Amino acid sequence: MKILSTFFIGLFLVSFANGQERFLTKKGMISFFSETPIENIEAQNNQVLSIVDATSGKMAIAILMKSFMFKKALMQEHFNENYVESDKYPKATFKGDILDFDKMVGIETTASIKGNLTMHGVTNETTIEAVIKRTVDLVEMTGDFFINLSDFDVKIPSIVKNSISQKIKVSFRFQHKPYKK
Amino acid sequence: MKKIGIDILLICLIGAFIAREMYNKPHINVAENPADISVTANILLADFSLDETKANSKYLDKIIAVKGTITNIEFNAEKATISLQTEDDFGSVVCYLVKDEFKKSAEIKEGQEVEIKGICTGFLMDVILVKCVMMHIK
Repeated sequence: MKILSTFFIGLFLVSFANGQERFLTKKGMISFFSETPIENIEAQNNQVLSIVDATSGKMAIAILMKSFMFKKALMQEHFNENYVESDKYPKATFKGDILDFDKMVGIETTASIKGNLTMHGVTNETTIEAVIKRTVDLVEMTGDFFINLSDFDVKIPSIVKNSISQKIKVSFRFQHKPYKK
Repeated sequence: MKKIGIDILLICLIGAFIAREMYNKPHINVAENPADISVTANILLADFSLDETKANSKYLDKIIAVKGTITNIEFNAEKATISLQTEDDFGSVVCYLVKDEFKKSAEIKEGQEVEIKGICTGFLMDVILVKCVMMHIK
């Protein structure tokens, strides 16, 4: 019995190693939230591209800054023109490693993703906590974290300083599906 | 003296009104505005794969009318996403329709040739258009 189960686990591992399995989503969601006593600002992007390499546990994310949709047109305009300068820096990217990804099977696990986040032309090393659920045909990730605007050289003019938070809460949800070529 | 006071009050009121109007400025309505650029899905993707920086300055934030054949339709939560065929193996043009827009064109199906109008936000694996509305169904 023991030999049999060892055999099956071995077979499972081999098939995994051969696959060079990639999981991908083009419809990842990233939203951010800035909270101040004067005004709350919220924007959502539903067109985030994210790729997970199941063999190595590496992941890469690409975000179009102009795909962030705000409730107010003026906020969206200011965000794009003054703060993140999306004409000059149209994309934000994240490249990193999911720690202990090979040990995840089936159940939801909290894991750290360590990597580099590039936005507004500035790269910072970050570690992000995520709840990851990995099955044969789905890699789901959810979580949130805070970023400091000053870390990314985003300047907020003093006149609106009180209505934009220095710390922005970023939430994400990705449902990666197996990528068929 | 009293008259100046009223004048100042009036100016302040007008100023506050304008500020409020600007603050609540509505989003651009794609359906009511003419397209800035008309292209085929094929040319749009080719432009982006050839020189992304140049294509960004040409297409970003503009209302684009794009013609192409539907390869895929996805629905979720009253919103539909339509992918248009290109000669490229990996990339396509992906149009995110505004809410309820697909009801107007409930009979759209894969293989159909359509023209869709939307705002271009850039290029990842595909060229992405948001706030899309259907224009013609042949």
